Amino acid sequence: MTRVVISGLGVVSPYGAGTKAFWEGIAAGTCAIRPITLIDTEGFRCRIAAEVPAEAVAAFDSSPRRSRADRMALAAAREAIADAHLSAEDRAGAALLVAAVGGGMLEGEAWYWEEARMGRPSPRIRALRSILPASHAETVGHRLGLGGPKETIIMACASGAAAIALGADLIRSGVVPLAVVGGVDALTRICFMGFNALKLLDTEPCRPFDRDRRGMSIGEAAAFLVLEDSERCRARGGPMYGEFLGAGMTTDAHHVTAPHPEGEGMIRAMTAALNAAGVPAGDIGYVNAHGTGTPQNDRVEASALRRVFREGGVLVSSTKSMVGHTMAAAGTIEAIATLLALQHSLIPPTANLRQLDPDVPFDCVPGVARPTPVEVGLSNSFGFGGQNVSLVFRKG
Amino acid sequence: MTQQDVLEKLKDILVVRLRFSPQRAAEVTLETTLPKTVEGSLGLDSLDILELLLGIEEEFKLVIDEREDLTAEFFSLDSLSRYVLSKAGQK
Amino acid sequence: MSAWSSEKGEGGRGERPRVVITGMGSVNACTVGGTEAVAAALARGRPAIAPVRAFATDGCRSHLAAEVEASMLSGLLNRETDRRLSRVCQLAVAACRLAAADARISGGPELGIVVGSEFGDLRSTEEFFSAFLRRGSAALSPLIFPNTVMNTMASAAAIALDARAASVTINQATIAGDLAVVRATALVAEGYATTMLAGGVDELSPPLYRHLAALGALSPMQGEGAEGCRPYAPDHNGPVLGEGATFVVLEELESARARGATLHAEVTRGVWGNIPTAPHTAQPFRVDVHSPVRRFLAELAPGLPTCCYGSGNGDPRVDDWEVALLQRELPEAFGRAGSRPPRSLAPQFGQHGGLGVLRVVAAALDAARERRPVLVHGIARGGCRTSLWIEPPP
Repeated sequence: MTRVVISGLGVVSPYGAGTKAFWEGIAAGTCAIRPITLIDTEGFRCRIAAEVPAEAVAAFDSSPRRSRADRMALAAAREAIADAHLSAEDRAGAALLVAAVGGGMLEGEAWYWEEARMGRPSPRIRALRSILPASHAETVGHRLGLGGPKETIIMACASGAAAIALGADLIRSGVVPLAVVGGVDALTRICFMGFNALKLLDTEPCRPFDRDRRGMSIGEAAAFLVLEDSERCRARGGPMYGEFLGAGMTTDAHHVTAPHPEGEGMIRAMTAALNAAGVPAGDIGYVNAHGTGTPQNDRVEASALRRVFREGGVLVSSTKSMVGHTMAAAGTIEAIATLLALQHSLIPPTANLRQLDPDVPFDCVPGVARPTPVEVGLSNSFGFGGQNVSLVFRKG
Repeated sequence: MTQQDVLEKLKDILVVRLRFSPQRAAEVTLETTLPKTVEGSLGLDSLDILELLLGIEEEFKLVIDEREDLTAEFFSLDSLSRYVLSKAGQK
Repeated sequence: MSAWSSEKGEGGRGERPRVVITGMGSVNACTVGGTEAVAAALARGRPAIAPVRAFATDGCRSHLAAEVEASMLSGLLNRETDRRLSRVCQLAVAACRLAAADARISGGPELGIVVGSEFGDLRSTEEFFSAFLRRGSAALSPLIFPNTVMNTMASAAAIALDARAASVTINQATIAGDLAVVRATALVAEGYATTMLAGGVDELSPPLYRHLAALGALSPMQGEGAEGCRPYAPDHNGPVLGEGATFVVLEELESARARGATLHAEVTRGVWGNIPTAPHTAQPFRVDVHSPVRRFLAELAPGLPTCCYGSGNGDPRVDDWEVALLQRELPEAFGRAGSRPPRSLAPQFGQHGGLGVLRVVAAALDAARERRPVLVHGIARGGCRTSLWIEPPP
């Protein structure tokens, strides 16, 4: 069967532009969740998020006519493609799968606000075109010469992980030899206001798995991988960050916002991923958790982890403790965190974890990264309303 | 403001924010129970309760700490309307 | 290398599961129901495009649409369980229930869902914002917020149908429905589920309609000519919007046979690719040599197919591009003097996410009745391209 490896990485994160900045940030346990500057937060209880610095947003394209999310996507995808040393010919046949949720809504909101205040259509109506999630794939595909099948996947917080699984399938089934896959979400008023309304946000930076955790923190990012047929990568001497072994994708079908109380869908997703990868649970050395920091998610996820891996059977940490919940980018940026953890034999910590919740029977690597060689890792993304994706990776 | 006044406003919130039909809302009384765990209730789940709480905050200009355990208060329209009256009276 | 297919040993993978259509359900401007109702509507062919009734279109250049009547939808909903559903979610849930009943399937961990949509739940986004703008942050609705993420239709349908395998939402202009069927077929073939509800959905909402009209995206584009949906015609001048949801039930053949399901048709090939062009345009600057679609069409025997459904919807760019592509790649069928263009369902149902699945449904019914394969082709501005090969049931 065709094996799929990761031959390129690209990240635009709250630490700045580049995979290097991202890895250095999470390896140091630096929390990038700070007071919001991009939008007005007056009157809202939570007023913090992990924002991408302005110079990183413009790392590839500084055109103000392009949405923030499009620019972030371009910068991250471009880095991944360059990192993989893809030729123009490679790119012409590469698939592109983009996970998106907010789309260009930040600019769309500004247009909508203006229209509502003016009482008539705004001249900025063109922003409508780039509001939809599909705009990133259109823009990235065109600017970076990616000519293969394009797909925009929306699966709430699991979108970025689904893009990886579905892209890998295209390679395994022989449709394409290469796939550029990833996710992007820029901070939007709607996301900020919506999670505030749902009372799911902590007013302080989130504390996944902490006994006193009170909610999640929003983040923004763009993250892309290049997936490749392993034989082809080997033959051309391409970089090898690790191997994608398998994925599980399930749905709780329980409630629009709350997870199944026993984590039924999470358990099935992890189990399916392990089966697809042909790896027993005991071989997993590290789980990069969904770990949002909400009382509910972390409790249910810990319970699901206990069912799949015995208590204490695996190291667990949450990258969201540092870069916040990056929505559609989360699944991808956290897959990258997992791959780099395996590559560097260094498990990134769970920041802000001061007192482990006694109901979480795992070492969640509090505060400081843990040097540990790990051969196989698993990354969880458990989206809003029960869309679950688990990915298994082997060290490169 | 009487308990009946509060009940009428709660009915409005049930229609406008929780999307109950006007006919269904007209049928409710103080005895009507709310949470879906109670048989014969309006069948509200956690998302509905949150929406109802926010609707109450907006309508009655209150601030309610949702971390408080309000299970008893949200049991029925009777208990809820008494709670609203007492919070409004405290302002 | 080619796209997956049901042929044995393709790509060195051994035998891949064959995928069949075992049911369908639709809520559209012409009809509501399963196989019988949709087949009858397709046979009648009566266009549902008419002046918009649900909202005012004064000040717009466009005034036509194919609308789903409120009464058609309300009869399919359960007031208690469906109370919170936004309208576009109601359409999706109703169509999924019809499809599931038509196919006689129930939920569980082996049932998944793929939903394609062009616009998602923009109505809820607008409601969410306008409450805030009018009344401040106290008016924000946690109940509405989940609808502002485009996977809300899939989530609602998954809950309603207890679909606990993967649920995926795809955003794509013009051919969202086609892409959903291609993707769902691949997911069944890859083993993520034995059964998939694959569908497309969109609704008309006043702000969306007005803004698309103002952007010049609807007939009459450029303000020229009579408003109407005339795909592939010399006087075509833009699409006319429709709304609705249409779902097919895709199932692994062996599992379908084992439970005695009705086999309507087989989806033997589902491919998609991309033709490089700038976003929202139809001006390719390079031939799509790598495209799985191009390779697939090249493999089709000369002279086939004689029946083809296309995504041309009256948008001159899309229509002309599709015709040019098919003439180039299937010259026997489309390049000869007197060749007819593909068949479009846009004049009947209006352009919306469900339209691509209606094409698949029509192709399936044709294939079964006439015992021959049917091609469902799709192309969109921006270059996304699909092809589905629908054959009579095994």
